[in-house]
Amino acid sequence: MIALLTVIFSFFGALVCGLMPATAYQRIRWVALLTALLGLGAAFCCALRYTGPGMEDVIRQTWIPSMGVAFITGFDGISLPLLLVTGLVSVAGVLFTWNLDHRANQFYAFYFALIGGVYGVFLSMDLFLLFVFYEIAIVPKYFLIAIWGGAKREYAAMKLVMYSFGGSALVLIGMLALFFASGLNTFDLRVLMTVDFSSGLQAVVFPLMFVGFAILAGMWPFHTWAPQGHSAAPTAASMLLAGVVMKLGAYGCLRVAVGLLPEGAMVWAPWVAVFAVINIIYGALAALRQDDFKYVIGYSSVSHMGFVLLGIGTLHLTGMTGAVLQMFSHGVIGALLFAMVGTVIYTRTKTRMLDELHRLMERMPGIAWVFIVVALASMGLPGFSGFVSELYVLLGAWETLPTWIVITAGVGVLATFAYTLAKIHEAFFRERSIGNGGNNGEGEADYSPMTLPEKAGVTLLLGASLLIGLCPWLLTNHIAGSLQLFLERFN
Amino acid sequence: MDYAAIFTALLPDLFVVVALFAALGVDYGCLRGASLADRADAAARIGGVGLVGALVALGFQLTGGLAVDAHALEVATHGQLVLNTGTLALKGVLFLLGLLVLPLAARTISTPQVSEYFALLLLATLGMGFMVTSRNLLGAFVALELVSLSLYALTALNPARKESAEAALKYFTYGGVASAFLLFGISYLFGTLGRLDITQATLAEAPRLVVVAYLFILVGLGFKLALAPFHLWAPDVYQAAPTPAAAWIASGSKIAGVALLLALLGPVSLPSAHSAIVPLLLMMAVASMAVGNLGALRQANVKRLLAYSAIANAGYILVAVVAFTDAGRAAAMFYAIVYAIATLGAFAVVSVWNDRLGREALIDDFRGAWKTSPGLSLALLVFVLSLAGIPPLAGFVGKFYLFYAAIQAAPQMEYWSDGLYWLVAVALAFSVVALYYYLKILKAVFVREETGELDNSPVGFSASVAILVLALLTVAMGVWPEPVVDYIQSYLF
Repeated sequence: MIALLTVIFSFFGALVCGLMPATAYQRIRWVALLTALLGLGAAFCCALRYTGPGMEDVIRQTWIPSMGVAFITGFDGISLPLLLVTGLVSVAGVLFTWNLDHRANQFYAFYFALIGGVYGVFLSMDLFLLFVFYEIAIVPKYFLIAIWGGAKREYAAMKLVMYSFGGSALVLIGMLALFFASGLNTFDLRVLMTVDFSSGLQAVVFPLMFVGFAILAGMWPFHTWAPQGHSAAPTAASMLLAGVVMKLGAYGCLRVAVGLLPEGAMVWAPWVAVFAVINIIYGALAALRQDDFKYVIGYSSVSHMGFVLLGIGTLHLTGMTGAVLQMFSHGVIGALLFAMVGTVIYTRTKTRMLDELHRLMERMPGIAWVFIVVALASMGLPGFSGFVSELYVLLGAWETLPTWIVITAGVGVLATFAYTLAKIHEAFFRERSIGNGGNNGEGEADYSPMTLPEKAGVTLLLGASLLIGLCPWLLTNHIAGSLQLFLERFN
Repeated sequence: MDYAAIFTALLPDLFVVVALFAALGVDYGCLRGASLADRADAAARIGGVGLVGALVALGFQLTGGLAVDAHALEVATHGQLVLNTGTLALKGVLFLLGLLVLPLAARTISTPQVSEYFALLLLATLGMGFMVTSRNLLGAFVALELVSLSLYALTALNPARKESAEAALKYFTYGGVASAFLLFGISYLFGTLGRLDITQATLAEAPRLVVVAYLFILVGLGFKLALAPFHLWAPDVYQAAPTPAAAWIASGSKIAGVALLLALLGPVSLPSAHSAIVPLLLMMAVASMAVGNLGALRQANVKRLLAYSAIANAGYILVAVVAFTDAGRAAAMFYAIVYAIATLGAFAVVSVWNDRLGREALIDDFRGAWKTSPGLSLALLVFVLSLAGIPPLAGFVGKFYLFYAAIQAAPQMEYWSDGLYWLVAVALAFSVVALYYYLKILKAVFVREETGELDNSPVGFSASVAILVLALLTVAMGVWPEPVVDYIQSYLF
């Protein structure tokens, strides 16, 4: 029941925030923080109580028996890191939007509706229920971006929604095909996982399911919603998008597509790896070419999600452990990067355009150092979680995938170094700006130090990444344990 | 003849008829000098009392307090009426929705013929009740004509607007031709079956004549249900008719029409018999989804947009109808009900807006509605998202059930054209398109900061209750659809 509390708290919080008057934004943010903390607390309790490696805290209720649908929730070592990252990012999201006063009640109503949907997906053990939560998460994203977003927000919001909805349409077809092929009249994932679907069916349905979910994971060539959506979104929403929503897609790929269709996965795994490598390289190169700081981070997300897909494509314990850990790691660091760029830096410089930024190192050294540490963590600096996860993924890839794919992925890591260092240089150390000198008419720059909520948010997320970077076994034991059960069917 | 059996069976309808004449009589007799608003109020109250009485009687019939003697009724009406648990409940749904239309109609009256307006609404409701309970070819046709004629007249009832008369004439012409087609088809069907009641008739194999008969029947019903390519009347009529009347055309007559379609397809329920009809149904389904969804993209007028959405949704319903299984029929019926509730709600909100503006509302007129009328905005959010098929609202379960039933009919797939996977894929693709225009409405309502010109006249108590009930139904049937689905599966098919 504790796990399900995450969902209940979030939806309840959404309701409470939505019903509060908009003028009470100073109280609303405390309610929001409390809601997010309750969710994180519940997720943390799950982590402490989890013994592994099987499914725990399973709740089963009949729901729509005439369609074979039941309400089943539970979690295992694969869902656990994702529950944690959702909790962490939702708390940090509130902290980094601390000063929001415009329609704050509605903002947090949509915000927690989205978070509730995300928790729900990670907890669903019934395919129909998973799909319901997956779809519930779509509409709040639209409003979060379209109402509180930046430039081109309506376009970006609509694009994101169209892509997600299109992806879920593919998933729905695959879902129904599997349901009827199994002949068991149930959407229970644990039951469906034991069914041996025919090879032909697996080979057809796997790409439907995988692509359907991978669209939301930002898989090339369906990634274009991601940089645009992230950039147009308000900080808290882009933190959620990069931190958790993209993981919804990757989680679906892993849990549903690979989990239900092992033979299909084996047939298509090389293609998954190829697309993953394209993601890594393309994302990194595109990031190198961006002028807008948020787009840099957006494309870096695409690149990092490539590692998740590559890890899934290895179909190997080490690689997939790396994939799940990378979901956690990028969730934390990606969200933090968006927070740094979207709130911490932007509210001070009033611009996100790199050619207008320069010498920030002198003007706000504290923030600059924090950003550099975060960027290095994202790059894969040892000691942070990103290093461990990408290492696991590459080790796994070395075991099962062709050498050239691993080498290309390695080149991708170099490209990551390139854009990270180049953009750090441009923003913080470059002597003079190429643009009009830091003021583009959106207000005077103001280089004040970080506020308390910002500090708290940074500490929370960076601390989580550091903790897992130093003690990866805290998560990898559970992840690998559950994945072992998961991978038994592959042999 | 056993009049007692007929009397018990038709007691609910009797309530409606009495209310209808009472509304006319009171309006003509006592309220000659009264204001339009008072007259509308009185007529709506009388109609409401009649429908509530009818619903209570239906409740007694369902629970057994006023048991209908099925055998006596069959003897007395020669099998024209089939009043079982399923059809009675469906009639109840229609009467309930009709009851919810009345307060909307009473809000603003655009015509001096106040009591006629309500009498026609009641008459249409009555006809729909007969449509869903009749299993006799001629009886069903007469009921359908009762509905159609009432709706033509309702469309024309706005004397101030030229388009109203034009749309009514268009509706009447199209509808008349459709009725002729339908009657022609029915006559062929009668010729083959040799009987007018179709409850028991099952053809093992469809002779060529039956195929021709169904061709005509489908053309006729296609008009009534606004299926492409017979949809041309719908946008004009929806736009020009008084909004509550348009709401009733979109919701009530859709449920009744789908019920009639499913009943008429009964004799060809076997695969050997319906294989010749399936291509036509498939064509209509795909065309409706395409025309409806693509047409809706360009609409600025909300009622017109809802008309195109009605065309598209009729197409979705056919996706389950072509499955020709019990689950398919149940899914089609469930979706028709769910769709009717959501669209009625959407029309209700639009109706309030039209009244406030004094003209037909455009999408832009909803700008900033979250600020000025948060309650209505929230209701509109629920209705529109249900139409778009977003969980946890009823429309999502409805659509899922449609696709579920369609694929269940032939889940094995050897080749892409096997089974109905491709049709479901088409439907899903178009539902992505649909999300675009539904979100366009919601964008105006929630995203825009500036507000349109609007007097914020209050919605009124009874209309608010009606909208609230519709919204709650939409949420409830989405969160917990099992009772309704189970009921339809157990008693209707």
